[in-house]
Amino acid sequence: MYGATFDCGIDKMGDNQVLKFYIESINDNFVNETEEMLRKTINLILEIVFNTLIENGKFRENILEIEKQNLRQVIESKIDDKDIYAFENCISSMYGDNGFGLYKYGYLEDIESITAQSLAKNYENLINTCKIDIFISGDLKQLDVKEMLENDENIKKLAERQPNYILNNESTESKQKVDKVQEKQEKLDVAQGKLVIGLDVLSKQENLGCVALVYNAILGDGVNSMLFQNVREKASLAYSTKSKYVKQKGNIFIRCGIEVDNYQKALDIIREQLENVKQGNFTEEDINNAKCYLISGIKSIEEEQDSEIVFYIGNEISKLNMNLKQYIDGIEKVSKKEIIEFANMLEYNTIYFLTNK
Amino acid sequence: MQIIESSKVKEKVYIEKLENGLTVAVIPKKDICKKYVIWGTEFGSIDNNFKIEKNGEIVKVPDGIAHYLEHKLFEQENGKNSLDVLSSLGVDANAYTTNNHTAYLFEATDNFYEALDEFMDYVQSPYFTDENVEKERGIIGQEIMMYDDYPDWKLYMNAMKCMYKDHPINIDVAGTKETISEIDKEKLYTIYNSFYRPDNQVLVLCGDFEVESILNEIKKRLKSNNSSQEVQRIYLKEQENIVKKYEETRMNISKPIFLIGYKDKVEPGEMVKKDLAIECICNMIIGKSSNLYQKLYKEGLISEEFGYNYEFAKNYAHVLIQNTSNNPKKVIDEIQNEIENYNKKGFDKVEFERIKKKMYGEYVKSYNDISSISNNFLADSLRGINSFEFLEEVLVLDKDYVQKVFKEIFVEDKKIVSVVLPNE
Repeated sequence: MYGATFDCGIDKMGDNQVLKFYIESINDNFVNETEEMLRKTINLILEIVFNTLIENGKFRENILEIEKQNLRQVIESKIDDKDIYAFENCISSMYGDNGFGLYKYGYLEDIESITAQSLAKNYENLINTCKIDIFISGDLKQLDVKEMLENDENIKKLAERQPNYILNNESTESKQKVDKVQEKQEKLDVAQGKLVIGLDVLSKQENLGCVALVYNAILGDGVNSMLFQNVREKASLAYSTKSKYVKQKGNIFIRCGIEVDNYQKALDIIREQLENVKQGNFTEEDINNAKCYLISGIKSIEEEQDSEIVFYIGNEISKLNMNLKQYIDGIEKVSKKEIIEFANMLEYNTIYFLTNK
Repeated sequence: MQIIESSKVKEKVYIEKLENGLTVAVIPKKDICKKYVIWGTEFGSIDNNFKIEKNGEIVKVPDGIAHYLEHKLFEQENGKNSLDVLSSLGVDANAYTTNNHTAYLFEATDNFYEALDEFMDYVQSPYFTDENVEKERGIIGQEIMMYDDYPDWKLYMNAMKCMYKDHPINIDVAGTKETISEIDKEKLYTIYNSFYRPDNQVLVLCGDFEVESILNEIKKRLKSNNSSQEVQRIYLKEQENIVKKYEETRMNISKPIFLIGYKDKVEPGEMVKKDLAIECICNMIIGKSSNLYQKLYKEGLISEEFGYNYEFAKNYAHVLIQNTSNNPKKVIDEIQNEIENYNKKGFDKVEFERIKKKMYGEYVKSYNDISSISNNFLADSLRGINSFEFLEEVLVLDKDYVQKVFKEIFVEDKKIVSVVLPNE
């Protein structure tokens, strides 16, 4: 099929586990029309997902064994990328053994108990009860994709459902200030130390998302951010230093790779930046830079097929039906006062350090 | 102006060599709002030894200097950093250094011409001081340490050291903490004046452009550099043979990774065809639909696809095959057996045609994204190729030719193996 790519994967979005099946193929414009690549591609992915090889209520044993082995390796390989490893460990220290705290690929000790039968039952249950979204992106002008889907035998077989999933967004997460900030250190044979700081947003306000994003851009997203300018450019402590807002759970995560001996120095500078935003020690120019950075990112969503799909899937899960225009307007409206208020809603939860000492 | 057209993806590239020697390539794309610009200099980590023409002086620069220069070029005399300025304009700016070139780029949806002002200004106006050069040492030091923890990078560097004795591709692009300690502003100016000459550079633009008008916009923003000097690169003659067959090391990882390399020689004019032939061979022997891949997967010896690549520039070329396995030795032996099998029986015609179609589809897909079109066009033109050749050649690739390449390259005495094992 001209090198069509198929892949599947798992995403953790807030407290939900999202299974993704993905296929990408060449547009009909570039091959002989009679090949009907789009139709073939759609049929193929629907066959894979809805007409899975389950015989007598079981997956094939030999395939299951191979996949168990592969899964073991995927889980064990968490340690290979130290940046992700440190980030995941900080999250699990914060959330423990449920929902968002779980590693998306699971745990070694649970693999044994999976049987060809239990797995098939789980999969069928998932197909019959879960929320299913299908996204198709491409140069589709002349084709009735909707009709193509509606007439598909696999789709026709699906029953109506009331899907049960956890709605995570700014207004659903309520947090208490932690009694004591956790400080965790883990020792591994690494060249570089990895510092991760998890902060809680102590608020349950709607429409906080845009304020949080502008705050985050001022703090640590992009080259004009305080973390980049101070931890990297002024103090020369790190090459990579950044922060990220996780809207589903109401967290800001700060991450940087530093010389192990510079732990305290880096932590002090980061604390100072957090305090600076709280005190309003930033300019209108900083706000404009942050907005400009975010808006140009939003504008490019439309031009990248993958990003567009990721955007709409995020909308679906959080039930925030925001289009790109509303999103941009929301960013533009954020005021300095709101940013300072937001900064004051943040509390330290966990300071995690991957070190070699 | 030279116009090259691809009948396959219906794209055109307009190439103009300006009076000052700069090559500009414009790839117009109608009706998209993003614009992408990349400015490449043919100067990378392998260019560490050269002769200055005017006085015959031979210069040997510290490892990692091309990359150091890339970091420092953003610094401006007015105290600003151009990366910050570009970011304030809402454009996405970046830079990277490879073995054979350094590139500066940005992507814009708005404020394109303001960004072009800043962009063309900073690439043409180096401003190095003792202080700003010193400041970068800690940052690059941390970048090097980050790479020190990447098992794939270690695997690759060990493979290069197994294959190459004198060729500087066996040194790390970023250098080491020791080598970068020797870098100062004088050395940076020397290499800037020696290599950042318009006749050693290519500027590629992709987006909704009108060709003549964007060329004028570029000409308006050109500056001249009176300190620029001609140089001649010095490369020691690299032996055809490999240095050593095997290297292993240990790191804190979950399971072994391995890389098989075949050292090859550059044949100018042949490289596109050769590259396609090798991609085709790897697909047939170890690709996802190959018998060997299926067998190894079922036996639990591998769990993911092989990575493979023909890496080449003007003066080096090699095949790289990589994967992860609990038993690398067994997988490497199985691949060797499969190579011997194919050497005996030859490639299957039907399979060969299917793989060609797959490759064609993948090349077409790479034209989806303006950044990958431009980056590829730049990298290819710096090694004397036009990117469209891949699309034109793939469907007419000849089985006998592929067979011949296979017999020449995949041979035991040009093969090396690099392995990274988990700590004991």
